[in-house]
Amino acid sequence: MFSGATVLFRWSLRSDASAQWPHAARALFSMVILCALSVAYANSISVTQVGLLFFEAICAINVLVITMCGISYFSTALTEEKDAGTMALLHLAGMNPLAITLGKSTSRLVSSLMLLVAQIPFSLLAVTLGGVLWQQVIAAWLAMAGWMFLVCNIALLCSARCRTSGRAATVAGALAVLFFLLPYLIGTSVAALPAGSLHPALISLSERVPGLMLQVNPLERLNEILFQWQSTGFVSSQLWLSLLLGCACFGISTWRLNSWTRSGDDEELQLGPRFLRKAAGRAWPLAMAWREFHFFAGGLQFAVTKLIGGAAVLGVFFWLQSQDELGFRWRLNAALTDLALLSFAAELSLELLLYSAGVLSSELRLRTHSALALAPIGTTRLLLEKMLGCVLSTIPVLFWMVVIVLLGDAGTVVLRERDVVLAWCIMLVFSCHLAALLSLYSRWAALRIWASNMSRCHIRATPDSNKE
Amino acid sequence: MPPFQSDRTHTAEDGVMVSAGRETVPAIVVNEVSHSFRATQVLNRVSFCVLPGSIHGFVGPNGAGKTTTLRTICTLLRPARGEIKVFGKSTQVAPEEIRRRIGYMPDHFSMYRQMTVFEYLDFFAAAYGLELGERDRAISDLLDLTDMAGRRDSLIGGLSRGMQQRVGLARVLVHDPDLLLLDEPASGLDPRARIELAGILRELRRMGKTIFISSHILSELAELCDAVTIIDRGEIRFSGPMRILEQQQQGTAAVWNLQLSKLVDGLREKLETLSVVTTAMEVEFSDGYVFQLVTDMGVTASQLLRELLPMDLPIISFGREKRHLNEAFMDLTTEGVR
Repeated sequence: MFSGATVLFRWSLRSDASAQWPHAARALFSMVILCALSVAYANSISVTQVGLLFFEAICAINVLVITMCGISYFSTALTEEKDAGTMALLHLAGMNPLAITLGKSTSRLVSSLMLLVAQIPFSLLAVTLGGVLWQQVIAAWLAMAGWMFLVCNIALLCSARCRTSGRAATVAGALAVLFFLLPYLIGTSVAALPAGSLHPALISLSERVPGLMLQVNPLERLNEILFQWQSTGFVSSQLWLSLLLGCACFGISTWRLNSWTRSGDDEELQLGPRFLRKAAGRAWPLAMAWREFHFFAGGLQFAVTKLIGGAAVLGVFFWLQSQDELGFRWRLNAALTDLALLSFAAELSLELLLYSAGVLSSELRLRTHSALALAPIGTTRLLLEKMLGCVLSTIPVLFWMVVIVLLGDAGTVVLRERDVVLAWCIMLVFSCHLAALLSLYSRWAALRIWASNMSRCHIRATPDSNKE
Repeated sequence: MPPFQSDRTHTAEDGVMVSAGRETVPAIVVNEVSHSFRATQVLNRVSFCVLPGSIHGFVGPNGAGKTTTLRTICTLLRPARGEIKVFGKSTQVAPEEIRRRIGYMPDHFSMYRQMTVFEYLDFFAAAYGLELGERDRAISDLLDLTDMAGRRDSLIGGLSRGMQQRVGLARVLVHDPDLLLLDEPASGLDPRARIELAGILRELRRMGKTIFISSHILSELAELCDAVTIIDRGEIRFSGPMRILEQQQQGTAAVWNLQLSKLVDGLREKLETLSVVTTAMEVEFSDGYVFQLVTDMGVTASQLLRELLPMDLPIISFGREKRHLNEAFMDLTTEGVR
């Protein structure tokens, strides 16, 4: 078993060493550290704790990169074998699930840990610059290593469960978003409810789950290390919980790998339940738009599902308002209108970015681009039709956004902050185009873009940032 | 001038040829085409011609430049040098017009696996701008032609490789092109599927389509094709009708087959005494009924028969040994992969 794992491990390390992009990533990191150092030096006139500023920036960047690695790099550990159809060959070569998961994940983990280790000497500069103790630096790196271990193993679980790299990356991305947003969403929802409207057990659960998630959250731990060092130590529950949860994910991946791989093969033959794709009908004269809408963006069934789901979400907002205001009325108050609009806007941006990331790369993956190129449709029209097909699929979300604006208070975010809305639209259009372009070179570029946007939003939404 | 050795004549300027007093345009004229990918020269002054209404084989070892040639012909790749004309139109001047008249099937499956066979064909028919009624008619005909009518509503992802190949062929035909460019259409198919595919291609030729087919299965190409082009390391080694290739002999000697109905004692020695025969040998396992006579290249059948007939032999058949396509392929191409 261990010889098999060693072979896989060595092979992965060798391919990592021979590939260009890991070295480019390390070089990029060095540049980022240099930039952070320059910024810290520039601020040294006005700020006393320059080292703290420098180290805080490095930590934030690392957490972001580790999270994005989980979505893309770690989540393809096993699916790359499934994509290439070589998983069965690994089994035939006598490798058991433990050897496969160990060999495939450890190399990536080690390669990524190397990225962290390479930064430690530079980060010690923060101690020289002042504001940070060496103990804080070590504690911060331990916290980030723990986070990396957890992210790597959660992504490994996604990789073991999902049939393709795309699905694994999507699930890993969704989990990352849930992890960072869920504590705040639960907290906000519970706070919005009137006292006594929830069962005590539910209230207890709504406090424990976010509490546990915040305990594992590396950003919380880093805040603790950097700003409340006196009340903490080298290791904390964040590290232990990360290691524990990581080991659990690794164990489940190993235990279920065989059965999930087999069920994946069966799925390949079935290609999903037939009832989900009955209503495609005849191709439209705008054939590409028809294909994108029905076979890429989910089709009519998915649109109807989103319409019903949107109604349900809106229903929840109305229910929350009725609980708060002791009575039902057909207009949402300003706070809930903003929250509802932001929720639908987040869904719209995620949906559009995912479509953008797949709209061109799917043709490359299916190798249908040469057949399409020969059809008498110009490239511009082809792209416009593709865009149309995807936009058609977002109609339910757009519909509910319009409804919210109509039913919400006159002073909604759309009217109050037109500049912000305009900037968001421009950013979304730009991100979509960037994702479509990057998807030709890197799979699931959108998820990375989206994750980075979400992280920015998250950092912006934290109380400390708001104070600024 | 493309080295197409045919009894028809070509004019170099516009690629128009004259056949029995009628003017016809060649389906493909490739003239001095060169192309390279970075430092690798993939095509080097490639020239050949494909006659309309024929099945033209295109063979060569791996990496010889077959797919690149096909991609340049179907306008997906612009050659660095030289010119390609499809039905008299230059691929660089009128690519849109050419695309409407060709159907290209790449060497890999390019399928939307979540679609049914009907949806897939309907999609491409709509992309080619066919009206609803035309689409119905075309798809129905194509499903009949490819014998896929029974799998009309099957998901493409669930079809066997042979069936997917048929669907791919139907897709290529959906807009009724005049020229089909098929890149390794028989690769990975079982013998039955290959024979059925050959039948479909013959039927298409009967319908007047020109078929330019790249393949590795030489025996089947030899039976199917009217003409063949052999490419090796980006250079054309032979291009012309199959019969010329079969007759063409390497070296200075010709081989003749002589089959008898009765055994004749000491025949080999007698045959070797003939003035035009260099060597006579009994074909292995023929029990003395079949002989091979080696003569100089210049010796004709009448010269040899003039010497054989006075011997009063019980001859059943007599003829010059034809060279098979695979022998020609081995003779004309070099060893190893580029």
